[in-house]
Amino acid sequence: MYQSFIGLEIHIQLLTETKVFCGCINRFGDEPNTNVCPVCMGYPGVLPALNGEAIHLSYIVARALNCTLSPQAVFERKNYFYPDMPKNYQISQFSSPLGRNGWIDLEYQGKKKRIRIHEIHLEEDAGKMIHAGDMSLLDYNRAGTPLLEIVTEPDMEAGEEAELLLQNFRRTIRYLGVCDGNMEEGSMRCDANVSINLEGKGLGRKVEIKNLNSSRFVRMALNYEIERQTENLDKGVKVIQETRLWNENRDVTEAMRTKESAHDYRYFPEPDLPPFIPGAEFLARVDKGLVELPEARRARFIADYGLNETAADFLINEKATADFYEEVLKSGAAPDTAASWLQFDVRKILNRGNQELAGSPLTAQRLAQLLSLLAENRIHGKIAKQVLEAVFAEDKDPARIIKEKGWEQMNSPAELAALVDKVLAANTKAADAVRAGDEKPLGFLMGQIMKETGGRAEPRLVQKLLKEKTG
Amino acid sequence: MDVSELKITAELANLNLMEEEFVSLGREVEKILDYFSKMMEADEGSLPAGTERCGANRIRPDEQIRDINPDVLLENAPELEDRFIVIPNVL
Ligand SMILES: [Zn+2]
Repeated sequence: MYQSFIGLEIHIQLLTETKVFCGCINRFGDEPNTNVCPVCMGYPGVLPALNGEAIHLSYIVARALNCTLSPQAVFERKNYFYPDMPKNYQISQFSSPLGRNGWIDLEYQGKKKRIRIHEIHLEEDAGKMIHAGDMSLLDYNRAGTPLLEIVTEPDMEAGEEAELLLQNFRRTIRYLGVCDGNMEEGSMRCDANVSINLEGKGLGRKVEIKNLNSSRFVRMALNYEIERQTENLDKGVKVIQETRLWNENRDVTEAMRTKESAHDYRYFPEPDLPPFIPGAEFLARVDKGLVELPEARRARFIADYGLNETAADFLINEKATADFYEEVLKSGAAPDTAASWLQFDVRKILNRGNQELAGSPLTAQRLAQLLSLLAENRIHGKIAKQVLEAVFAEDKDPARIIKEKGWEQMNSPAELAALVDKVLAANTKAADAVRAGDEKPLGFLMGQIMKETGGRAEPRLVQKLLKEKTG
Repeated sequence: MDVSELKITAELANLNLMEEEFVSLGREVEKILDYFSKMMEADEGSLPAGTERCGANRIRPDEQIRDINPDVLLENAPELEDRFIVIPNVL
C-alpha cells in the first residue's frame, strides 16, 4: 500500500492601504499602471521602506497559526529574470522568515489532526502580464503589493483533507481581517505538492501542482495526481519530479513546459532594508489584533449555548454572522430560537435576494425585537415570518411594521369571546357535534376563527373559550 | 575608464549617448569607481551583511505617497498600448 504526502503553499494578499515597500495604493481593478512609482517600477536609486501595517498583519497571522516568531525578520532579494517584476528580483524572506514551526488543527474524518506549518514569510507580489499574440502587456499595479506566504509540512494525505485545511485557513484569515480570501479573484492562491511512496518508506518524488483557483480544484487535482502516481508506481514507472498544471476543463493535471535549469535565485540580504526586530510594544499590538478564532468560537457556541454542530458550523462560518448572533443574544433572546431563525428563515431570504447579512435591513436589534415580540406572545409564529419579510422589504423596525399593518395578536378575552359566539352560531352543525362530545370539529372551528382574524387570534385563549362555550 | 567598456555598459542599460557624452560620463563613472574602491578599504570586522541598524526599526506608516505622476514614469516605456507597457512575448 502507498502512503501519500500533501503539502500546501498558500499566498494571501494582505489588506493594507498601500504596497509593502512603497506608498502606492494597494487596490484591485484600477486602470493599468496607475498605482506605480519609481520604487515598484524598479527605477535606479530608490529606497524601499517597510509598510508598518503589512508587517503587523503578517505577525498576527503567524501568531494565530501558532508559529515561533522570529526575533529578527530578514528581507532578502530573490533574483529572477521575468518581466512581471521590473527590478529583476523580488524582495522576500529566506534565511530568517518572520514565523516558523506553527500548526493548524483540523477535525478530519471525525478525528483531530494537526497540520504543521513550516514557515510564514512576507514578500512582494509580482505584476500582471497578459500574453497577446507576439507581445505581452504589463501592468505593475500589483507589483510590490504585500503577499504573505504560508508553507505547510507534507502532513496531509488526501485531497479532501487539503480542501478542509484551505477552508479552515480561509475562515481564519477572514476572522483576523487580514485578507478577504477570494481564490477566484486571486487574493488567496494555493500551490500544492504531493508525493506517494510505499508505506513506511518516507516521502516520494515530489510533484508540484499550480493553477488551482478554488479549494475544490485543489481537492480534485490532488486526488487525480495521487491516482496517477499510484498507477505509475504500480506499472513500475518512476514518478518524475516536476511541476504540473491543473486543467480545469479536462479535470487532469498536465506537465508544464519546463525551463531546463533548476532554480537558482541567488538569495542575498536586501541591503536597502534593515531586518525587522519586533519589540515588546509591537508584539503587544499584535496580540491585540488576535480575535477568538473560528474553531474556538464553535466549541464555545456548542458548550455555552447548547447548539448542535450544524447550527454552530453555520453561525461561526462568517465572523459577521457569529457577531450578529451574539448581539441578538445580548437582548435576552433564547440561543436556540435565535440560531434557528438565522439558520433557516433569515438565510432563506438572504439567499433569495443574493444578499449578505451585513448591510441588510435586518440589524441585530431588529431581530432581537422580533424574537421578543414573539416570546411575549404579542405576535404568533406565522405572523413573525411575515414581519421578517417586511423588515427586508420595507427597512423598518418590527414593532412599527406590526403596528402599521395591524398584525398584533388579538388577546382581549371579551373581543375573542364575541368572535367565538359568532363562529359557533354560523356553524351550528359543527358546534352541536362538539357539544355532543365529538372533538374532531374543534380544529375546523379554530380554523374559522383564525380566518376571521387573519391569523391574529391568540390560539390558546381561543381554544379555552371554545371549550367553555361548547362544554 | 575605458570608453569601449562604457559603450557596452550604455548599450546594456539601453542608453543612447553621443560621443561627447561618453567623455563627460566617463569622468563621472571613474569618480564612482574610486568611491567604491575607497569603501573596499574599510574594515567591516565581524559585522553581518546588511546591517544598517541604528536602534529603531525603519517603518513607514500605511499611507499613500504620490509625489510623482505615474504618467511621467510610463513615458520611459519603449511602447505602450492604452496604459499597458508592451514588450515582445515572453511566455
Ligand atoms: Zn510604488
